Amino acid sequence: MVETADLLVVGGGIIGCAVAWQCAQRLPPSTRIVLLDRGPIAGATSGSCMGHLMVTPDDAQEYAFTHQSLQLWRELQDQEGGFDYNPTGALYLADDPADIELFAVLRQQFVQNGDTADILDQQQLRALEPGLAHDLPGALFYPGDGVVLPMLACGAMLRAAQRHNPNVQVRPFTEVTGMLRRGDTLYGVRTKDGELHAANVVVASGVWSPELSDLAGQQRVPIYPRAGNLAITGHHATPIRTQLLEISYIRFAHGTVKVDPTRTDDAGGHAVNMQPQTNGGCLIGSTRQFCGMDRTLNKELLHRSLLRAQRYAPGLADAPIVRTWVGLRPYSLDKHPLIGPWPRLRGLWYATGHEGLGISLAPITGRLVAQQLAGVPTTIDATPYLPARFLR
Amino acid sequence: MNDPRIVTADVGVVGAGPAGMAAAASLARGGLSVAVLDEGPAAGGQIFRQLPNGASAAVIAEPPSHHHGHALLQQFGGSNVQHLRGAVVWDARPGRLWFEHDGQSKLLRCQRIVLAPGAYDRCVPFPGWTLPGVVTAGALQVMVRGFGIVPGKRAVVAGSGPLLLPTVTALLSAGVQVVAACEASSRWRALRALPGVFGNGARFREALWYGKQLLRAGVRLRWGWTIVGCDGDGRVQRATIAKVDGEGRPRPGTEQHFDVDVVGAGFGLVPSIELGLVLGCAARHDAARGGHVLTVDAEQRTSVAGVFAAGEIAGIGGAEVATAEGELAAAAVLHELRGAVIPPALRVKARRERRAADAMLRAFAPLPGLATLAKPDTIVCRCEDVPLARAQQAAALHGGSLRAIKVGCRAGMGPCQARICGPSLQALACGTPGQPMDLPVAQVPVKVVRSETIRAAPAD
Amino acid sequence: MNDGSSRLPGTAQRPPVAFTFAGQRVEARQGDSLAMALWAAGIADVRRSSRDGAPRGVLCNMGICYDCLVQVDGVTLRSCMVVVQDGMRVERGGKP
Repeated sequence: MVETADLLVVGGGIIGCAVAWQCAQRLPPSTRIVLLDRGPIAGATSGSCMGHLMVTPDDAQEYAFTHQSLQLWRELQDQEGGFDYNPTGALYLADDPADIELFAVLRQQFVQNGDTADILDQQQLRALEPGLAHDLPGALFYPGDGVVLPMLACGAMLRAAQRHNPNVQVRPFTEVTGMLRRGDTLYGVRTKDGELHAANVVVASGVWSPELSDLAGQQRVPIYPRAGNLAITGHHATPIRTQLLEISYIRFAHGTVKVDPTRTDDAGGHAVNMQPQTNGGCLIGSTRQFCGMDRTLNKELLHRSLLRAQRYAPGLADAPIVRTWVGLRPYSLDKHPLIGPWPRLRGLWYATGHEGLGISLAPITGRLVAQQLAGVPTTIDATPYLPARFLR
Repeated sequence: MNDPRIVTADVGVVGAGPAGMAAAASLARGGLSVAVLDEGPAAGGQIFRQLPNGASAAVIAEPPSHHHGHALLQQFGGSNVQHLRGAVVWDARPGRLWFEHDGQSKLLRCQRIVLAPGAYDRCVPFPGWTLPGVVTAGALQVMVRGFGIVPGKRAVVAGSGPLLLPTVTALLSAGVQVVAACEASSRWRALRALPGVFGNGARFREALWYGKQLLRAGVRLRWGWTIVGCDGDGRVQRATIAKVDGEGRPRPGTEQHFDVDVVGAGFGLVPSIELGLVLGCAARHDAARGGHVLTVDAEQRTSVAGVFAAGEIAGIGGAEVATAEGELAAAAVLHELRGAVIPPALRVKARRERRAADAMLRAFAPLPGLATLAKPDTIVCRCEDVPLARAQQAAALHGGSLRAIKVGCRAGMGPCQARICGPSLQALACGTPGQPMDLPVAQVPVKVVRSETIRAAPAD
Repeated sequence: MNDGSSRLPGTAQRPPVAFTFAGQRVEARQGDSLAMALWAAGIADVRRSSRDGAPRGVLCNMGICYDCLVQVDGVTLRSCMVVVQDGMRVERGGKP
């Protein structure tokens, strides 16, 4: 069977759903959009991750990228809702004296971008979060961050997409088994149902994106799985109302430490990230380890994660744990996502490689793709994210 | 050194119900050291619940088969085993069982594992089932036999399968007026169970006993009826029953209403295979045997070397099957560790009991029409308060698998770890044509435990 | 409704225990679970649903369903799995 559409999105995680949403909103409503996933929508990384809406003020570009994306998240909440959106802000904590000086550094970064963040002393911290350890010296509170439930957000984005554009089709359990090429043009994909032709195919397949590069006969995009172990408590067991991050998270997750994602002996590391849930539970993370596609629980890292979470919130020791699991973040070799066309194959686009900022950056990613497809200027400079930078 | 958190034994037995007790007693008799890990405060499992502190029970009538239970309890109580009460097993690998006990994180190191954790009630959602006072058949057994509490004054009992009768008789012996006792299966479908009943002396006597109890109380079992709704102010006050067709779908216009203060729902049992899955044991779907069961060979070995399974987790079968399989598993362990010969009589007995149980249960395999009892606003996931309509929307958008429904609406992600909602979500997922039965995901912790228990887990 | 008729004869010959539930004193017997002591006292709604405040209570009575959650001295626990201790302060489970 041969079907025809205008745009195919391969991957039903948060990025794919955001691409579908933004394209449905910004391209003509007659545009036939088909989103495909080989499993359930939100069934892979987006169903196994934390839901941090994070502003990173490292530089003006990063700030604009994340800040604008969070504004789009608020739009989705207003338009659609239904994904446990919670504007908690973020509380940066430290217990190593060497890290406390980072509060002022981070605060300055926010200020430089025209934003605000407050340094709290011990008293103010205890007033804000009485469930935290009493010996913490203070914290940095940034009000702009928030928490969502990514798996529900995927559904919200698709519902919004289908409202904007009745020609949006969602096909879970439909694996792309081949990419159809004619010379240097991609004209569609093959699935178990036959051929699906379209002028543009956006690969939003997270850690599986390199496999799609293979199917397209192209150089593999340099994306590597970076595993994260998580635990979630039962209801009414959260010691916190805001979201917590150890300030060392910034160094660890997005930082300057050189990592080699291809090594097989990565012991991995951890920095506290805790998120309150709507049902009164608490999501506890965040570990990172390069170990291929292995989703076996790393007990050592998980135990360290729980220990450190308990250091900041001592009451957590008694919290009931309902589930532990592993998710795979798509880590890009230069730490920036790939958003845009692949120059060697007309019709092939990428929207992938967001590592731990996938949830935060999903809406802006979708917007950039929609603007690139429409050939209009992008809201922010998308040059740093063009896949072409990896061309050999 | 003597770290109180490390327990060592030749064999670790999970569960102190009939299968666990029989296995442990046999193993101890054979000269092996045994540690039994059980969540309850006393041995007996759910079927042989005892009153607290051994307080005597004057008027709780017991069917004939329960004298086996007393014998087993005595045997187990007198055997040389380490019985750890209130132990919650949360992780395992062959030869290792991690458990929470007395507020500590502990590890059992052993040579062999015998899994006998039993089963839990299969829940079928219906309008009003979340009202206080609506409980499972198992809950009523615990209430009456385990605590001597009178459940209420007037009850409706509905469900399907052999457990319905013990639920009704427990209520009757507690002085509760059972205004309606509803078996969803038709009389004709239940007749298929007859060979299993008549072919077995003990089961026949049991059936007669139940029949006599109901006759004496003037309670008529309604065949082909089920509960279709409950309502009340703050707790259940009214129950509505209706006739159902051969598939279990309610027939409109047949509704009858009753004033009640307690409702018992017993739609069969679901094997507790979760720990087996974490151990890597193979499982298969067997609808008549309660759903997903662990696959075992003729001597109760699972697919994982060193791990044995007996009783309900190999398929719902009742106390006689559990006892026979527990003894057989013990014999197989003794053969492996001591070179003892496995008495052929044990194999024969286990097979015979299993066949008889299977014959009975085939007449009561879950009726698909019961999945239609839930209305769009009926809660199907009680932990996360997800109504049926949202679960259906999740299936429609995210895909028709259990995982798809979970990520689409969070049903199944609460602290019950999808034990309560799993069967009904499974039915919803498999309503999608071409969708195979999803095996539940094996995850740790197998049961909810404290964060510190996981964090401080003793090393291998 | 804590008269003797809520217990079977011969099952209550255990030392008395008392606790408070939502500020009210409840009499029980040693060895009772909180859920069963409350049931015997006529209290079946032991928590409120966080979503809509609906009254909820025991379903399985054996620690599986997590529907019977209460707060014991501030900690959320399954009332069917907690043995009553003298002087316990118990509140309904769920968001206050």
